[in-house]
Amino acid sequence: MMQAKKALSYAVKAGAEEAEVYMLVGRSVSIDLRKEEIDLAREGFVEGIGIRAIVNGAVGFASTNNPSQVEEAAVLAVKSARVRAKDPEWKGLPYAKKYPYVKGIFDRRISELDASRCIDYAVGLIGGVDSWKDVRPTSGRLMAADSSQIILNTNGVVVEERDTILEASIEAIARDGGTSTAYEFDVSRGLDIDFYQVGAKAAELAYKSLGGRGFETQSTNVLLRPQALADILENTLIPSLRADNVQKGRSALIGKLGERIAAESLTIVDDGILEGGIGTSRSDDEGTPSQRNAIVKNGVLETYLHDSYTAGKEGIQSTGNAIRPSYGATPMIGIRNLILEHPSCDVIASTDKGVLVSTVIGAHTSNPVSGDFSLEARNVFVIKDGELAEPIRSLMISGNIFDLLGRIDAVGKDVRTIGNVILPTVRFADMRVVG
Amino acid sequence: MVDFYDIRVIDGSSLSIVLDNGEIKEVSNNFSRGASARALKGGSWGFASSDDIDRLDAIKKSAIKIAEQTHSKRPRERINLAQVARPEPGSLPGVRINPENISIEEKVELLKNIDTASRVKGISSTNAVYSEARVHVRYMSSEDFDLEYQLRRVGFAITAVASSNGVYQIGQESRFGVCGFELFDRYDALALAEKAGKTAVDLLSAEAPRGGMLPVILDPELAGVFIHEAVGHGVEADHVIEGNSVLEGKLGERIASPLITIYDDPSMPEYGYYPFDDEGSGSNKTTIIEEGVLKSYLHSRETAGKLGGTSRNARAMGYARPLVRMSNTYIEKGNLSFEEMLEQLKNGIYLIGSRGGQVNPGEGIFQFNAERGYLVEGGKTTKLFRDVSLSGDTLEILKNVEGVGNDLEMHSGRCGKAGQLVPVSDGAPHILVSRALVGGRG
Repeated sequence: MMQAKKALSYAVKAGAEEAEVYMLVGRSVSIDLRKEEIDLAREGFVEGIGIRAIVNGAVGFASTNNPSQVEEAAVLAVKSARVRAKDPEWKGLPYAKKYPYVKGIFDRRISELDASRCIDYAVGLIGGVDSWKDVRPTSGRLMAADSSQIILNTNGVVVEERDTILEASIEAIARDGGTSTAYEFDVSRGLDIDFYQVGAKAAELAYKSLGGRGFETQSTNVLLRPQALADILENTLIPSLRADNVQKGRSALIGKLGERIAAESLTIVDDGILEGGIGTSRSDDEGTPSQRNAIVKNGVLETYLHDSYTAGKEGIQSTGNAIRPSYGATPMIGIRNLILEHPSCDVIASTDKGVLVSTVIGAHTSNPVSGDFSLEARNVFVIKDGELAEPIRSLMISGNIFDLLGRIDAVGKDVRTIGNVILPTVRFADMRVVG
Repeated sequence: MVDFYDIRVIDGSSLSIVLDNGEIKEVSNNFSRGASARALKGGSWGFASSDDIDRLDAIKKSAIKIAEQTHSKRPRERINLAQVARPEPGSLPGVRINPENISIEEKVELLKNIDTASRVKGISSTNAVYSEARVHVRYMSSEDFDLEYQLRRVGFAITAVASSNGVYQIGQESRFGVCGFELFDRYDALALAEKAGKTAVDLLSAEAPRGGMLPVILDPELAGVFIHEAVGHGVEADHVIEGNSVLEGKLGERIASPLITIYDDPSMPEYGYYPFDDEGSGSNKTTIIEEGVLKSYLHSRETAGKLGGTSRNARAMGYARPLVRMSNTYIEKGNLSFEEMLEQLKNGIYLIGSRGGQVNPGEGIFQFNAERGYLVEGGKTTKLFRDVSLSGDTLEILKNVEGVGNDLEMHSGRCGKAGQLVPVSDGAPHILVSRALVGGRG
């Protein structure tokens, strides 16, 4: 805290009219797996400061992880601001407010993990895969991190927070004449991941995908499981919800506030204070208090995702969606915990005919502006008379997310947390699949 | 006791300036330093890193402890590290003008001029980037190495977009080097920016070619990308060991036309330069292919210990874990002038520049998009094409080379592998290929 306060005063001394300091201190332990073996076990410490300085409505930025260079960085941030033209849209950094109390984002047991314990957990992942005959792991990763962040600004913002995260992932290959692969993962704020189960689930999916057949090109019911749909949403819907993209003309949702953009049965919430959420914290990464925002309510678009800059441009309040990938970068707009809410049913049992898609490859090739995508579906199964039937070898799915959101016709009870997106399996009627 | 350990300490700073449509979008200054330690026990590596370089002893102990814990819990086949050549003290590429002595205002001014130069008639938007970096590396190991060097890198990139009736076309130019601000004396940045603008505008009225199996000439940039992506990644020995390279088991075999000789040379003063790699191995030229025969893979100490060969290509981004990487990879020049090559081609397509692509190194299949192309008729370039791509089988293309130019050119870039980006360059002269699959739109 001392160092952060010093950095702020250096920036003011150098001539900043407003200034902000973001400081991150963290420790992580990770285990990389290759096949059955520990490829590398490691421990890492990070500590650094990012400084934003504002002079005459222009923003400059510098970062450092060297305590002896904090003053130099502050001066450079101010110099960088001075070479820029005044931005009339800049309305200022956030002001101090009351911050919510959030639960379930720190687990002392994770902060105390060492490499030795993490190796045991990684061996658990491998054991889960190996519990299936003819299935072996190809690669995997286990990571535990403990991070503390401090945000200070000249408008009185002082936010301090500490959180933990634990992630486990594994890729498995099944061989039985042919081969098939599958990926499974889990992520949590607490030490509550069943590592063996993660491995066993990857193995089960790889095994059940063996012997896939061809599938005829057609339009049919497509059920996207949480991993597949989250991947598509992150590359289509979410970029269009970002107010910076809307303001720059790079969104399909321009001018759609207050309009129906999805089925009336669908509500999408972005919740920065969700208990135990991966995107949960007291404030966003520039000190705006976290809140729960209804983004889409009963199918109607209620708000875009804002940081203080895009909100200031429109004379409204930030929604608390400023996110920093590291202390070395300025904030950008992103989701906190995006939750799909919809009346649920036993979605597979209620499907006469269709396909179930577990994961997709190439979601990053989607068009983030139009929402069009054309992807390779993996670990796909035929659904016949309400039951899962044989696997399908190769299938392309294509569509437009905004078109599909209007055509959600059923949703499962299998709600899962996929990173920052929380969602169940969703069924879309009459979607194009190419075999 | 562990079998081996080493420690790297990195201290660097960087500045980047980004103009979006002529307005400053970003001025970002970053200081970063940190250290990492590796320790090897049997077949188990332990790794530790910290931003705090005053904790060298603590991270060394942590790496050793992790290696010992891994070894006792999950032992694996012993790793024998190949011996390394101690680097010979030599001179680093010179820096004539220290970029830190040039004011930020002057850099912004230069970038604005570059941006303006790219705005030829028909350009609708532009993006210009200036970057400079300084890095100091110190390497120490349990084998009594204690080495250090400092490098500076400077560069710029300009992208110009032309649009008409809903069609967008892009022209791009960039130059990066291991040098100081004199980069801008070496290259005419304004002329290159204008060229980027003109390319974008010209492409608006270009058509996509009819695809098919055709004789082609690759320009030095596209041929360089081909060598890096399709051949270079295939000779990274970690890929070979994982069974992810079509070049596995082919050492000593003729895999290319006898006209083809390929080197990787970190001692060359290009963008991929380093005086020693991130395991302390002195830099030197590796002959990958000599007159069509595959001579060597690229190695780290671990892969050279396993497969045999010389280790000099272990590189890391910052203080991350070193992996087998390329440095400056190029096709040696031949003896044809470009005019002679066009004459030899007679009828075909001349492919220019690169827009990226995909390679499956395990199967040796690739697909690259060229920036543009020309129809060649009777030994003359005629019609301009856009949306032109090159795809096929790496080994077939290498065998079908029928001419190598005398005009070697290097291009700088950053290469990604396992989440780590490192500076590299790739290069080639013009290359004549008798048969290659050229794709157009659709």
